[in-house]
Amino acid sequence: MTIDRARFDQGLTYEAFKEQMTRNRDHFEANEQQVDLNTEDLAAFRALPRPVKVVVLAEDWCGDVIANLPVLGRLAKESGKLDVRIFLRDQNDDIMQRYLNKGQFKSIPVFVFFDDAFRELGHWIERPASVTEVRAKRRKDIFAAHPEFGSPDAPVDQLAEDVRVRLQAELVKMRHDTTKFANAEVVRELREIATRVAA
Amino acid sequence: MTSAHKVKITYCAECGYEPQTLDLAKALMLEFGARLSCIELIPWDGGTFDVSVDGDVIHSMTRDGGFGDNAAIKEAVRARLPA
Repeated sequence: MTIDRARFDQGLTYEAFKEQMTRNRDHFEANEQQVDLNTEDLAAFRALPRPVKVVVLAEDWCGDVIANLPVLGRLAKESGKLDVRIFLRDQNDDIMQRYLNKGQFKSIPVFVFFDDAFRELGHWIERPASVTEVRAKRRKDIFAAHPEFGSPDAPVDQLAEDVRVRLQAELVKMRHDTTKFANAEVVRELREIATRVAA
Repeated sequence: MTSAHKVKITYCAECGYEPQTLDLAKALMLEFGARLSCIELIPWDGGTFDVSVDGDVIHSMTRDGGFGDNAAIKEAVRARLPA
Protein backbone atom coordinates (compact mmCIF):
# COMPACT_ATOMS: atom_id res chain seq x y z
CA MET A 1 0.00 0.00 0.00
CA THR A 2 1.31 3.39 -0.93
CA ILE A 3 -0.32 6.74 -0.43
CA ASP A 4 -0.85 8.64 -3.63
CA ARG A 5 -2.91 11.68 -4.53
CA ALA A 6 -6.07 9.63 -5.19
CA ARG A 7 -5.89 7.87 -1.81
CA PHE A 8 -4.99 11.06 0.00
CA ASP A 9 -8.05 12.79 -1.41
CA GLN A 10 -10.28 10.06 0.04
CA GLY A 11 -9.43 11.16 3.57
CA LEU A 12 -11.60 13.40 5.70
CA THR A 13 -10.63 17.00 6.17
CA TYR A 14 -10.06 18.05 9.76
CA GLU A 15 -13.47 19.73 9.88
CA ALA A 16 -15.18 16.73 8.29
CA PHE A 17 -13.60 14.48 10.92
CA LYS A 18 -15.02 16.69 13.64
CA GLU A 19 -18.44 16.63 11.99
CA GLN A 20 -18.56 12.82 11.98
CA MET A 21 -17.46 12.44 15.60
CA THR A 22 -20.01 10.57 17.68
CA ARG A 23 -18.35 11.30 21.01
CA ASN A 24 -15.72 13.43 22.75
CA ARG A 25 -16.20 16.38 20.40
CA ASP A 26 -16.61 18.83 23.30
CA HIS A 27 -13.41 17.54 24.88
CA PHE A 28 -11.64 17.63 21.50
CA GLU A 29 -12.63 21.25 20.88
CA ALA A 30 -11.70 22.27 24.43
CA ASN A 31 -8.23 20.81 23.83
CA GLU A 32 -8.05 22.70 20.54
CA GLN A 33 -8.66 25.96 22.40
CA GLN A 34 -6.02 25.15 25.02
CA VAL A 35 -3.19 24.61 22.53
CA ASP A 36 -0.71 27.42 23.06
CA LEU A 37 1.54 27.80 20.01
CA ASN A 38 4.63 29.89 20.49
CA THR A 39 5.78 32.41 17.91
CA GLU A 40 8.97 30.57 17.02
CA ASP A 41 7.23 27.26 16.36
CA LEU A 42 4.54 28.90 14.32
CA ALA A 43 7.12 30.81 12.29
CA ALA A 44 8.92 27.55 11.50
CA PHE A 45 5.72 26.00 10.12
CA ARG A 46 4.79 29.17 8.23
CA ALA A 47 8.26 29.20 6.69
CA LEU A 48 7.87 25.76 5.11
CA PRO A 49 8.68 26.23 1.40
CA ARG A 50 5.45 24.51 0.34
CA PRO A 51 2.49 22.85 2.04
CA VAL A 52 3.17 19.45 3.56
CA LYS A 53 0.58 16.71 3.28
CA VAL A 54 -0.32 14.89 6.47
CA VAL A 55 -2.15 11.58 6.50
CA VAL A 56 -3.74 10.90 9.89
CA LEU A 57 -5.11 7.67 11.34
CA ALA A 58 -7.60 8.37 14.11
CA GLU A 59 -10.80 7.33 15.89
CA ASP A 60 -12.97 9.51 18.11
CA TRP A 61 -12.86 7.13 21.09
CA CYS A 62 -9.10 7.31 21.56
CA GLY A 63 -7.73 9.51 24.34
CA ASP A 64 -4.45 10.17 22.54
CA VAL A 65 -6.37 11.26 19.43
CA ILE A 66 -8.53 13.61 21.50
CA ALA A 67 -5.38 15.03 23.13
CA ASN A 68 -3.01 15.27 20.16
CA LEU A 69 -4.96 15.66 16.93
CA PRO A 70 -6.15 19.16 18.03
CA VAL A 71 -2.47 20.20 18.24
CA LEU A 72 -2.00 19.22 14.59
CA GLY A 73 -5.31 20.91 13.74
CA ARG A 74 -4.22 24.20 15.28
CA LEU A 75 -0.82 24.03 13.56
CA ALA A 76 -2.54 23.43 10.22
CA LYS A 77 -5.03 26.23 10.73
CA GLU A 78 -2.55 28.82 11.93
CA SER A 79 0.34 28.03 9.61
CA GLY A 80 -1.63 27.37 6.43
CA LYS A 81 1.13 24.91 5.49
CA LEU A 82 -0.28 21.55 6.52
CA ASP A 83 -2.79 19.80 4.26
CA VAL A 84 -4.41 17.26 6.59
CA ARG A 85 -6.51 14.24 5.61
CA ILE A 86 -7.87 11.90 8.24
CA PHE A 87 -8.59 8.18 7.82
CA LEU A 88 -10.56 6.20 10.38
CA ARG A 89 -8.26 3.50 11.69
CA ASP A 90 -10.79 0.70 11.72
CA GLN A 91 -11.83 1.31 8.11
CA ASN A 92 -8.31 1.68 6.73
CA ASP A 93 -6.36 -1.28 8.00
CA ASP A 94 -4.06 -1.28 4.98
CA ILE A 95 -2.65 2.08 6.06
CA MET A 96 -2.62 1.03 9.72
CA GLN A 97 -0.60 -2.09 9.00
CA ARG A 98 2.14 0.06 7.55
CA TYR A 99 2.48 2.20 10.67
CA LEU A 100 2.11 -0.24 13.56
CA ASN A 101 3.63 0.96 16.82
CA LYS A 102 6.72 -1.18 17.51
CA GLY A 103 5.61 -3.27 14.53
CA GLN A 104 2.74 -4.71 16.61
CA PHE A 105 0.23 -2.25 17.99
CA LYS A 106 -2.47 -0.24 16.23
CA SER A 107 -1.71 2.85 18.30
CA ILE A 108 -3.26 6.11 17.21
CA PRO A 109 -3.08 8.88 16.28
CA VAL A 110 -0.61 8.33 13.48
CA PHE A 111 0.57 11.40 11.55
CA VAL A 112 2.46 10.69 8.31
CA PHE A 113 4.09 13.63 6.57
CA PHE A 114 4.57 13.68 2.77
CA ASP A 115 6.04 16.10 0.30
CA ASP A 116 4.33 17.12 -2.96
CA ALA A 117 5.41 13.91 -4.69
CA PHE A 118 4.10 11.80 -1.79
CA ARG A 119 7.57 10.92 -0.61
CA GLU A 120 7.36 10.25 3.11
CA LEU A 121 9.18 12.77 5.29
CA GLY A 122 8.53 10.89 8.50
CA HIS A 123 5.78 9.72 10.77
CA TRP A 124 4.67 10.16 14.36
CA ILE A 125 2.70 7.73 16.54
CA GLU A 126 0.46 8.12 19.61
CA ARG A 127 2.35 10.56 21.89
CA PRO A 128 5.90 11.67 22.62
CA ALA A 129 7.98 9.21 24.68
CA SER A 130 8.92 12.15 26.91
CA VAL A 131 5.23 12.60 27.81
CA THR A 132 4.79 8.93 28.66
CA GLU A 133 7.90 9.14 30.83
CA VAL A 134 6.90 12.29 32.70
CA ARG A 135 3.38 11.02 33.34
CA ALA A 136 4.65 7.66 34.57
CA LYS A 137 6.92 9.48 37.02
CA ARG A 138 4.08 11.74 38.19
CA ARG A 139 1.85 8.70 38.60
CA LYS A 140 4.45 7.04 40.82
CA ASP A 141 4.67 10.24 42.86
CA ILE A 142 0.89 10.25 43.38
CA PHE A 143 0.95 6.70 44.72
CA ALA A 144 3.94 7.53 46.94
CA ALA A 145 2.09 10.52 48.40
CA HIS A 146 -1.12 8.56 48.98
CA PRO A 147 -0.49 5.20 50.65
CA GLU A 148 -4.24 4.61 50.63
CA PHE A 149 -4.02 4.14 46.83
CA GLY A 150 -1.93 1.01 47.39
CA SER A 151 0.54 -0.22 44.79
CA PRO A 152 0.62 1.46 41.37
CA ASP A 153 0.81 -2.03 39.88
CA ALA A 154 -2.19 -3.48 41.74
CA PRO A 155 -5.56 -3.79 39.97
CA VAL A 156 -7.67 -0.72 40.75
CA ASP A 157 -10.75 -2.84 41.34
CA GLN A 158 -9.23 -3.84 44.68
CA LEU A 159 -9.63 -0.29 45.93
CA ALA A 160 -12.75 0.81 47.78
CA GLU A 161 -14.98 2.87 45.51
CA ASP A 162 -14.38 6.16 47.34
CA VAL A 163 -10.61 5.64 47.23
CA ARG A 164 -10.79 4.75 43.55
CA VAL A 165 -12.73 7.92 42.82
CA ARG A 166 -10.06 9.99 44.63
CA LEU A 167 -7.29 8.22 42.70
CA GLN A 168 -9.07 8.90 39.42
CA ALA A 169 -9.37 12.59 40.36
CA GLU A 170 -5.63 12.75 41.13
CA LEU A 171 -4.78 11.12 37.79
CA VAL A 172 -7.07 13.48 35.88
CA LYS A 173 -5.46 16.46 37.63
CA MET A 174 -1.99 15.12 36.82
CA ARG A 175 -2.87 14.79 33.14
CA HIS A 176 -4.33 18.30 33.17
CA ASP A 177 -1.22 19.71 34.87
CA THR A 178 1.06 18.11 32.26
CA THR A 179 -0.99 19.10 29.21
CA LYS A 180 1.00 22.23 28.41
CA PHE A 181 4.26 20.27 28.48
CA ALA A 182 2.67 17.48 26.41
CA ASN A 183 1.39 19.86 23.73
CA ALA A 184 4.79 21.57 23.50
CA GLU A 185 6.47 18.19 23.02
CA VAL A 186 4.01 17.25 20.27
CA VAL A 187 4.72 20.53 18.47
CA ARG A 188 8.48 20.06 18.85
CA GLU A 189 8.37 16.55 17.36
CA LEU A 190 6.00 17.47 14.51
CA ARG A 191 8.12 20.51 13.65
CA GLU A 192 11.20 18.32 13.40
CA ILE A 193 9.46 16.08 10.85
CA ALA A 194 7.66 18.77 8.82
CA THR A 195 10.79 20.85 8.35
CA ARG A 196 12.51 17.97 6.55
CA VAL A 197 10.66 19.07 3.42
CA ALA A 198 13.18 20.23 0.83
CA ALA A 199 13.31 23.88 -0.10
CA MET B 1 -26.37 -22.35 51.02
CA THR B 2 -25.46 -19.51 48.68
CA SER B 3 -22.55 -17.11 48.92
CA ALA B 4 -21.88 -13.80 47.24
CA HIS B 5 -19.55 -13.94 44.25
CA LYS B 6 -18.66 -10.68 42.62
CA VAL B 7 -17.11 -10.15 39.17
CA LYS B 8 -15.44 -6.85 38.37
CA ILE B 9 -14.51 -5.76 34.86
CA THR B 10 -12.16 -2.78 34.73
CA TYR B 11 -11.95 -1.37 31.23
CA CYS B 12 -10.24 1.56 29.52
CA ALA B 13 -13.04 4.00 28.72
CA GLU B 14 -10.59 6.22 26.80
CA CYS B 15 -9.73 3.31 24.53
CA GLY B 16 -13.27 2.47 23.48
CA TYR B 17 -13.37 -0.93 25.18
CA GLU B 18 -17.09 -0.66 25.95
CA PRO B 19 -18.21 -3.20 23.28
CA GLN B 20 -15.88 -5.91 24.63
CA THR B 21 -16.88 -5.07 28.20
CA LEU B 22 -20.58 -5.31 27.43
CA ASP B 23 -20.10 -8.53 25.44
CA LEU B 24 -18.33 -10.15 28.38
CA ALA B 25 -20.82 -8.83 30.94
CA LYS B 26 -23.69 -10.20 28.85
CA ALA B 27 -21.98 -13.57 28.46
CA LEU B 28 -21.49 -13.79 32.24
CA MET B 29 -25.08 -12.73 32.95
CA LEU B 30 -26.50 -15.33 30.59
CA GLU B 31 -24.18 -18.06 31.82
CA PHE B 32 -24.38 -17.55 35.58
CA GLY B 33 -27.51 -15.52 36.28
CA ALA B 34 -28.09 -15.10 40.02
CA ARG B 35 -25.09 -17.28 40.87
CA LEU B 36 -23.15 -14.02 40.69
CA SER B 37 -24.13 -11.45 43.28
CA CYS B 38 -22.82 -8.57 41.18
CA ILE B 39 -21.08 -7.72 37.93
CA GLU B 40 -19.36 -4.39 38.40
CA LEU B 41 -18.13 -2.37 35.40
CA ILE B 42 -15.36 0.06 36.26
CA PRO B 43 -14.45 2.70 33.66
CA TRP B 44 -10.72 3.40 33.86
CA ASP B 45 -7.88 4.36 31.52
CA GLY B 46 -4.38 3.36 30.50
CA GLY B 47 -5.39 0.49 28.21
CA THR B 48 -6.83 -1.53 31.08
CA PHE B 49 -9.00 -4.62 30.57
CA ASP B 50 -8.96 -6.64 33.79
CA VAL B 51 -11.45 -9.17 35.05
CA SER B 52 -11.53 -10.38 38.65
CA VAL B 53 -13.66 -12.74 40.67
CA ASP B 54 -13.83 -12.08 44.39
CA GLY B 55 -10.55 -10.17 44.16
CA ASP B 56 -8.63 -12.75 42.10
CA VAL B 57 -7.56 -11.43 38.71
CA ILE B 58 -8.56 -14.05 36.15
CA HIS B 59 -7.70 -12.00 33.09
CA SER B 60 -5.53 -8.93 32.61
CA MET B 61 -4.77 -7.31 29.27
CA THR B 62 -1.41 -6.18 30.64
CA ARG B 63 -0.52 -9.59 32.03
CA ASP B 64 -2.18 -11.94 29.54
CA GLY B 65 -2.60 -9.78 26.43
CA GLY B 66 -5.77 -8.85 24.60
CA PHE B 67 -9.33 -9.08 25.83
CA GLY B 68 -9.20 -12.77 26.52
CA ASP B 69 -11.57 -15.38 25.22
CA ASN B 70 -15.03 -15.08 26.75
CA ALA B 71 -15.36 -18.88 26.97
CA ALA B 72 -12.05 -19.15 28.87
CA ILE B 73 -13.08 -16.31 31.22
CA LYS B 74 -16.41 -18.03 31.87
CA GLU B 75 -14.56 -21.24 32.74
CA ALA B 76 -12.29 -19.32 35.12
CA VAL B 77 -15.37 -17.84 36.81
CA ARG B 78 -17.10 -21.22 36.97
CA ALA B 79 -14.04 -22.71 38.68
CA ARG B 80 -14.48 -20.22 41.51
CA LEU B 81 -18.17 -20.94 42.09
CA PRO B 82 -19.56 -23.79 44.19
CA ALA B 83 -20.33 -26.88 42.12
